[in-house]
Amino acid sequence: MSAIVESANGRDVQPPDKYEVPFGSNSIRLSGWEWVIAAIVCLALFFALPKLWTRTEKFEPEPDYRLPYQLSSDYWLYNRYCCWAGPRYDTFVVGDSVVWGHYVPQDHTLSHYLNQNAGRNQFANMGIDGIHPAAMTGLLKYYGRAISGKNVILHLNPLWMSSPKHDLQTDKEFRFNHPTLVPQFIPKIPCYKDPYSRRIFIAAERYAAFFSWTSHLKILYFEGMDLPAWTLEHPCENPLRAISLEPPASTDDSLNERASWTQRGMAQQDFAWVELETSLQWRFFRQAVELLRDRGNTVFVLVGPFNEHIFKQESRNSYQTMKEGIEAWFRQNRIAYYMPEALPSQLYHDASHPSAEGYAMLAKQLFENPPFQSAILKQH
Amino acid sequence: MFFHTWPFALFFLVVYPTYLALKNTKFRLPFLLAASYFFYGWLNPLYVVLIAYSTILDYMVVTRMAKSRRKKSWLTVSIANNLGLLGFFKYGAFVTDNLNFLLSSLHVPYAIPAPGILLPAGLSFYIFQSLSYSIDYYRGNIERETSLIRYAAFVAFFPRLLAGPIERAKNLLPQLHETPAVSRQDVTDGLSLFIVGLFKKVALADYLALYVNKIYAAPEQFQSPALVLATFLFAWQVYFDFSGYTDMARGIARMMGFRLMLNFNNPYLATSLGDFWARWHISLSSWFKDYVYIPLGGNRKGTLNTYRNMFLTMVISGLWHGAAWTFVLWGAVHAVGRFLTRELERSEFYKDKVPKLVKQLFVFVIVSFAWIFFRAESIGDAWVIVSRIFSSGLANPYCPVLALALIAAVWLYEFAYESPARWILQLAPVRTGAVILMILYLAVFAPSSNQAFIYLQF
Repeated sequence: MSAIVESANGRDVQPPDKYEVPFGSNSIRLSGWEWVIAAIVCLALFFALPKLWTRTEKFEPEPDYRLPYQLSSDYWLYNRYCCWAGPRYDTFVVGDSVVWGHYVPQDHTLSHYLNQNAGRNQFANMGIDGIHPAAMTGLLKYYGRAISGKNVILHLNPLWMSSPKHDLQTDKEFRFNHPTLVPQFIPKIPCYKDPYSRRIFIAAERYAAFFSWTSHLKILYFEGMDLPAWTLEHPCENPLRAISLEPPASTDDSLNERASWTQRGMAQQDFAWVELETSLQWRFFRQAVELLRDRGNTVFVLVGPFNEHIFKQESRNSYQTMKEGIEAWFRQNRIAYYMPEALPSQLYHDASHPSAEGYAMLAKQLFENPPFQSAILKQH
Repeated sequence: MFFHTWPFALFFLVVYPTYLALKNTKFRLPFLLAASYFFYGWLNPLYVVLIAYSTILDYMVVTRMAKSRRKKSWLTVSIANNLGLLGFFKYGAFVTDNLNFLLSSLHVPYAIPAPGILLPAGLSFYIFQSLSYSIDYYRGNIERETSLIRYAAFVAFFPRLLAGPIERAKNLLPQLHETPAVSRQDVTDGLSLFIVGLFKKVALADYLALYVNKIYAAPEQFQSPALVLATFLFAWQVYFDFSGYTDMARGIARMMGFRLMLNFNNPYLATSLGDFWARWHISLSSWFKDYVYIPLGGNRKGTLNTYRNMFLTMVISGLWHGAAWTFVLWGAVHAVGRFLTRELERSEFYKDKVPKLVKQLFVFVIVSFAWIFFRAESIGDAWVIVSRIFSSGLANPYCPVLALALIAAVWLYEFAYESPARWILQLAPVRTGAVILMILYLAVFAPSSNQAFIYLQF
């Protein structure tokens, strides 16, 4: 085995000291300079590959574009969409599936009707399905820098405060949406129990576009799996062929049932609204507002409108108290907002999602709303 | 804390510069010990209590041995304590299960309660290292270590704590006595070892695990090709997993100025089972040779006794790997393989006429066959796999072509390494290019499943 002892240039050498042992069972032994070269090449690729990829992969969003449902966790693409939309739109509508348009096609969403009222493409649909305030804050912080300084309509869906579970307050672990966007260490989210090794990786991923780009490849081309897992599902397929260099269009996303909540047989419910003072989601929502204001964005908050027809009486009272607290904070912090009355009952598909007609009505109300006019429309 | 995880990256980012800053001061060893205990306690703080107990006891036993005429009695205390710890933590459940099986066979209406003890990670490794210190001192091979801190650092040295290599006191303790000079080459060599080990573990072993786990979880649902492929792939998985861990351990130690022994030397290029064990888990096989095989008589008392000693050593080695009959069988298959290839090597025809490649493939097939018993959940499962390999149909195994291509590339690399074409692998662009490709593959395509190291369970 002593023959294995070799120098960096591969020549066998005598052991240099009394503790020397055979180096290894392969030739991969780099010298200092070779490591420097390897590090430079890797770093160059690390920074260049995601940028080069944007030149290679086709991405031409059509009017009323929204991130395809199956790409909801592709935050690299979201960032790319922000970069693309930044110079093309004046106002960005940010929120969860209510903004995204869970029950409607992309040309019947809130942003579509706002554009219709404006008579031009002024509003971009930046909604992501399932993005609760804790995740939305992370989304804007790490992947939404490209819309700094722009008008932002931030949607607050009270649904996220409708129970301790929605508010992420329960001690028991459960898998909520978009865990990679929430704070990994501080503040502590009681129901979030991912191991530290994963949390550290997630924290690193946010600051290195390379890692979110690799996630993009997995989500877009490998069905959300890493390459090894994908090859297990497709053992004889060439992985390179899967990379079509074309994100799917979002037009066929709305496959959900389009009946109203009563037609769907939903009953009136009790909601265990959380206290505003202790609500995690409300705390994160305020952080999102402050973050946007710090970045020079003009922020307009749209609250709901929640389907209040679905409430039982006790829920209605608690909801009213919560709304008053939310309103007080907006006033205190001079934030333009609109907290509309509930839409007619038949214009809801469930507790929070309006129908296409509901979106049209809401857009019209917004255009008639003086704070909206002065905050969002005044510049035009 | 495992080497391929982010917590370890953070740990090492703190520990390494601190160690370099302290290495010329009296705080070097206490810091190394504290870092090692932190590293171990990260898995379970109670583990630290156990390793501290084992360390203190062996240190005291050898101290007593030095002052006593009854050295053998003190050695017995050390052996009894170490084997007792192993027996209690590792074999408690195994013994209970077998006793209960015996009782139920005899229709005795009593069952011994299962001990329900957690096996501390790396126990077998540091117990063997500590035990070798007592035995070597008893045999007069080494000096007594006077510093408890140094001895504790020797037992708990974090790069090798969880899965070896099982270092001998005569190699590692002197290095702890001196202030290691950390040269630039130590750092670059350490990085080279680490990156190769990381690639073996994350890109190769964890990838193969996906296929192997699927097939071995329900062997009765698969036919011969899938079972054969899963068995061959497991042979590579376990090699990449364990040798990858060792490479990382050696790389980390090297960056700190320590030399840990070579533990794997292209074992699947072995031409006999004896050759295989000179290349596979070298620190363990040499341990068994020095402390079990030779004390049993080695090859000194005729062929029959030699084979008996080999058989006992291999079976004990099997039992060391795991407290189950499958591991005993695994050791027994290796013993039979050793007899077979040893006898074949004695024939002129086999020795001179059979091509080396054929011998290598023959050994690989025997070793892979033995892995069935190592990997199977039970003897019943192992039997299902063996019988279905020879009797079931030939359905498509659905094995990823990419996995097979990676294995082929590694095998080709190893053949080239041990051939006259080795110079090609030693060209700077080839070595540097290989490292760049490994890093890129790890960064872009590595599996996110994060499998545990196989040998940590031992």
